Formats: sequence, C-alpha cells, structure tokens
Amino acid sequence: MSSEARQDGEVRVFSDYTRDFEEDADVVVVGSGPSGSVVAYELAKAGHKVVLIEEGPPFTPQEFRADGNISMARTMREGGLRSTTGTFMPILQAICLGGGSLINSAMCVRPPAFIFDEWSTRYELDHTTRADLDPHYDAVSEFLGIAPTPEDVQGPRNLLFRQGCEALGIASEPVDRNVRGCRGSGECFSGCRARAKQSMDISYIPEAMKFGARVLTSLQVQGVLGEGRRVRGVEGRVVEPFSGRTSHAFRVRARWVVLAAGCMATPVLLQKSGNLANASGQVGQNLQFHPGSAVAGVFPESIDPIFGGTQSYQSLAFLEEGFKLETMWSAPAALAVRMPGVGAELVHRFGELPRTAIWDAIASTHRSLGTVKARFRSLNPVIRWTLHPEDVKVMLRSIHVLAQIFFAAGAEKIMPGVGGLPEEMHSREEAEVLRDYAIRPADLVTASSHVFCTTRMHGDPAQGVVDEEGRCHGYDNLYIADTGIFPRCPSVNPMLTVMALAHRQAQSLAERV
Amino acid sequence: MGGIVLIVLAVFAARRVWLGYPATGAEFAVLAPREEAFLQAAAEALFPPHADLPVSGGQADLPGYADRYLAVLPRRQRTLIRALFALFEHATLLWPGKGRGGFKRFSALSPEQRLGVLRDWQSSSLALRRLCLTALKAILILGYVGHPESLAALELAPWKIDSPRVEADFLYPPIGGHRDQISRVGEPLETAPTAPPLVPGLDQEAP
Repeated sequence: MSSEARQDGEVRVFSDYTRDFEEDADVVVVGSGPSGSVVAYELAKAGHKVVLIEEGPPFTPQEFRADGNISMARTMREGGLRSTTGTFMPILQAICLGGGSLINSAMCVRPPAFIFDEWSTRYELDHTTRADLDPHYDAVSEFLGIAPTPEDVQGPRNLLFRQGCEALGIASEPVDRNVRGCRGSGECFSGCRARAKQSMDISYIPEAMKFGARVLTSLQVQGVLGEGRRVRGVEGRVVEPFSGRTSHAFRVRARWVVLAAGCMATPVLLQKSGNLANASGQVGQNLQFHPGSAVAGVFPESIDPIFGGTQSYQSLAFLEEGFKLETMWSAPAALAVRMPGVGAELVHRFGELPRTAIWDAIASTHRSLGTVKARFRSLNPVIRWTLHPEDVKVMLRSIHVLAQIFFAAGAEKIMPGVGGLPEEMHSREEAEVLRDYAIRPADLVTASSHVFCTTRMHGDPAQGVVDEEGRCHGYDNLYIADTGIFPRCPSVNPMLTVMALAHRQAQSLAERV
Repeated sequence: MGGIVLIVLAVFAARRVWLGYPATGAEFAVLAPREEAFLQAAAEALFPPHADLPVSGGQADLPGYADRYLAVLPRRQRTLIRALFALFEHATLLWPGKGRGGFKRFSALSPEQRLGVLRDWQSSSLALRRLCLTALKAILILGYVGHPESLAALELAPWKIDSPRVEADFLYPPIGGHRDQISRVGEPLETAPTAPPLVPGLDQEAP
C-alpha cells in the first residue's frame, strides 16, 4: 500500500481514490450520521487528528430526486427495500454523507425524564438521567439552531392536527427542528432544496473540517483491526456510489475507534471482525424499533397539503401509554401509496389528495424484540423481529386516537389502514370499531426508520456491549456512538438524543485521547 | 412416458414464460418485453381513465418509469422486484381470473379479468398476497401519481426552488464527478436562508 498525502480538513470522494492507501489518525469515526458527525467535530475542535469515514457519497441539491422510489434507491441502504423477517416491516436507513439527517424530517425531541429513569433502573446506568444529558442537549441545540417550527410555515395540514387535538383536550405542540429559514416545502424526506435543514453534511461536517477533520466518503469499512483489549484502526474498500462495486483497499490506523455506522451496520461490523466486543453475547441482540402507522383523513375542502413543514406538529400526551403522534408529509406520490383499492376507486382516491392529510404514530414497542446478524458474504444484515401482540394493541390504540383527532378537526372520512376493517370510516362512531378490534400483526401496514439496542449500554458488562460513555466493555479504545447503544427504545424521535449522547462521549474521549 | 411428460411441461412453461410477447420497439435498460407487457397491463387495470386525472395508467409510460427505477436498484433488490412482476404475471395458474381463459398469464387476460385478479390479491386472506399487491402498487403509484400531468392536475406540482449556495456546496463535487466540477460561482450563504414561505400555486412549477 502507498500513502496518499492529503491536506488536513479535506473531503475525499469516489473519484479521488486511484490506488490502495493508508491513513493515520488519533481517532477514526465510522459513519457520518448525527452521532458520528458530532463526535468528529468535537474531537477535531479539541485538537485531535480525526478521520471521518462514510460509505455513501455527499449529496448536493442537484442530486436530490423528488420521485420517492428513485430518491430512496439512491439515498438508502439496499435501495430503500431493506426489511425485517418474522414480522415483515420495511426499514429505512440512509447511506449518504450526513446519514439519516439528510433525509429525515429534522424532528428534535427530548424524551421526558421517566424514560431515562427507566433506563437507569433497568440497565444499571447511574449517570444517564435527563438532568445529566440536558447540558449536552443544550449544546447540540445551540449548534444546530434547534427551535420550534414557526407558525408561518406550518400549513393547514399541521394546524388541523392542532385544531383536532385542542377540540379533544389533547396536548400538542409545534415540533422543535434543526432548521434555519424553513420555507415550508415539505421536502425533508428527499433532501431540503431550500438548504434550511441543518443536516450534518452542511452543519457539523464542514465545521469539523475547519478544525482539520478529514472526511473520506465512498469507503466501506469491512473490518475493525483488533488486538487483545485494544483496537488499531479499520480497513475496507473503496465503494462506488449506488452500484456498490468495491475497488481499492484502504486502512486507517488510529489510536481510538468510534463506530457510529448505525444500529444495523455496527453490530454486523463487529461480527465480521471476529465477533469483537461480544463477551456478553449481546452484540446484535435486543433489536427494537419505533414502528410507525399512518392514518389518512380527507377534509371537505382543499388543504394545500403540499405546503408546510414535513412533520411540524406533534403530541407527546400518550408517551406513557407507549406512542407518540405527529403530522407527516412526503412526496405526494409516495403518500398515494397509502390509498387502498384498485382500479377506478383507487384513482378516485388520488383525486382526493388535495384534501388529504396524513398523520402518524410511532410506537414504543419494547416488548417486540429481534436480532441483527451478518449475511453470508455481505455486510447487509439479516434482521429478524417479531411484533409482540401487546405492542400491536398499543399501535391500534394510537390509530384509534388519530381517527378521533381527524374527526374532531373536521375530516369527512378517514382511511385507517387496518386489514380486516373497512377501508374508509365516515364518523367517530364508525371509527369506534378500532377500539376493541381483535387485531393481528399482519393487519397493520407499518414501517420504521428508528432502530435501537443492538449494542446496548448496560452497567453490567455481562448484559451489555458498552458502558455509559459508549466504550465497549473489555476494550480500552473502542467506542460505539449510534442508536445501537440505547438500552431501550426512547419513545420519541431519537436523533437529538443520540447526538446528545455523542456529545457526552466526545467530551469524555477528548480528555482520554 | 415420464420423459415425454417432462418435455411437454417444459415446452408449456417456455411458451408461457417467454413466447408470444409483442415487440413494442421500446428500449429499456433492464426490462424484458414480457415485463413491459405485464407492467402495461397492470397499469391499465390499476389506473383506468378517470375524470380527476388527465392521464390513465395506460398512457403514463409506467414500464419506462419502472425501468428507470430498476436501473438504480442494487442487483439483489432488482432481482426481487422482477420476481414480483413474474409472480403476478403467472400466479393466474394458482389464482385464475374469472371466466373463460382465466388461467392465461396476467397480461393476456381481458381488462375485466385483470381487475378481478387484482381485487382477489387485495382481499386475500393470505397476508403475503396482500403484501405483494401493496409492493406492486407502490412501484406503479409512484410512477403514475408522480407523472407531471397527474401532479399538476392535483395541484401538487413540485415547488420552484432556487437552492441558495451554502458553504458545503463548495466542498462536494457531483456524485461520481471530480472536484474541479464544483461550481465556484457566487458566495456561500453565511447565515440562514431568508426567502419567504412558499405559496401554493404561485411558487409551483407550471404544468
């Protein structure tokens, strides 16, 4: 291997790699999503030599695609078609510079204290209360300009949600987002052309580079180099965007390794690296999700649904019951997929799209567990997961509440999307069938992009993979900094929490390095 | 005797799967003529002409759309999607259309039979069949509703947005390109974008 001399603080893309190469760093961070970017920035700012590796390419607005299929195929792992076995559920996971922050709706939510109290007591975590993390939430929030979505870009479909909640006495609020200067395009999921969303590729990563961080995109890490209690770096191959074809070999030698590759890729990488950090047997276990279910509601008049923040209003009123309610928008054609029927009835429903809002619920399904295992001769995972019957009831309850909110907001009908029930319901009374329906997992159409716990944090090394600082039990210099370290699903959108945890990790690491 | 039966079955299978598809002259990166025929037939059945939308499924070039989609998928996922098309095309052997000739492949059924077959998939007691229909619909709906004329008719045409230059735009070349392709024109945005909220109708692309 030869060494390619590069200036510090530079980004490298696929066309820059012309031969095998090696790099040296104090810290190598694998994965440029919200947590990896925070770690890279904080450590670079502290004066350390940081290499940030990302498998996907950087996207600019010219690369965004409005078409839902094409956009997902370009920005998501396995072409946007990753799914679980057991209970079938599509899983949306990004592969691009900035990770999920490029194509999520920028929701930044702090879980209430009782979530952390549960984490502390069940998982022997003494320093992970809400109060412990608040300074880190504050630091990230200030950096990204996180603020409640202003009224002038809510748009009717978000404000109708508020109206319905108010009519029923349900607490609701505008969503805090990492957005500056939102224009209400509703394009968060395909990439913000208005450049308002502060995704990692335009916020933390350029700032990290100013402090000398080197950002190497289109590199697929295939192994962590380990030796006893210490790791020495990572190695892998250059990977061509979209095709996934691999070419030149690379190796990054580092004194500290931080895996922030995501809740699926990190355990697979550990398994492929000789079952690293798995003395507890917990790597790839305990998989949890926030499955989402959506209800469509049709209003009597056009609500201009194309305008407004993508997900700008929410209700946290049911967190203790196990679900969170929120508004939603996406590419119109992608939302049309939600419509039941075939033939003329289906096309008729497309005609109702200008009058249609879609609201969703994410459920905290901590009884529904799964596993992640490396697929043979592949870095893609086999994901087994089963939706627990009690969690299905929670999800049905959330659909019932959404139906009530729709009718309270003036909807003339809803489409609950529950198999075995009428495709349309026209009144609150009719929707009462949702209250006691004997639902089965297969009756729900669900999807998730919130994935947790596959390398969970636990005070007891026999029961978890990392400690409270994210350091792998039994290792001096191997850290994990993605949602895999959550001991349990957090009940709210996880981006801000994983960034706060990463901020704390980075501060601790900065002292050690 | 067994050999003759096998040969007859093989000829039947080959004829059903590969033969008799008309050449339309369309050029695709991925799709075979049999898949084009299936997708066109499915599009016509799923999205018949309707007063609310200016184009029908048969007019929206959904085989072309599916071909562009398949071309950007990883190989494994592309294979799975093509298997889905083949499943629908030939599952009439298991779940035939109603009436005479119901066992023919999907694309050879009458329009009424195709609609009936899709309705059967939709109302099936087998969750897997319903799921397969959802997957097929997802691919075709995105092409159909996402058709520029459909979106314009629904007042859901894309926004006209001139992306402001941010600092990062001076860092990243186009995907697959070189850094000398980074446009250096203009100054990077130093603070938050200040453009006003978009206005439906006014700020949307013309049909």
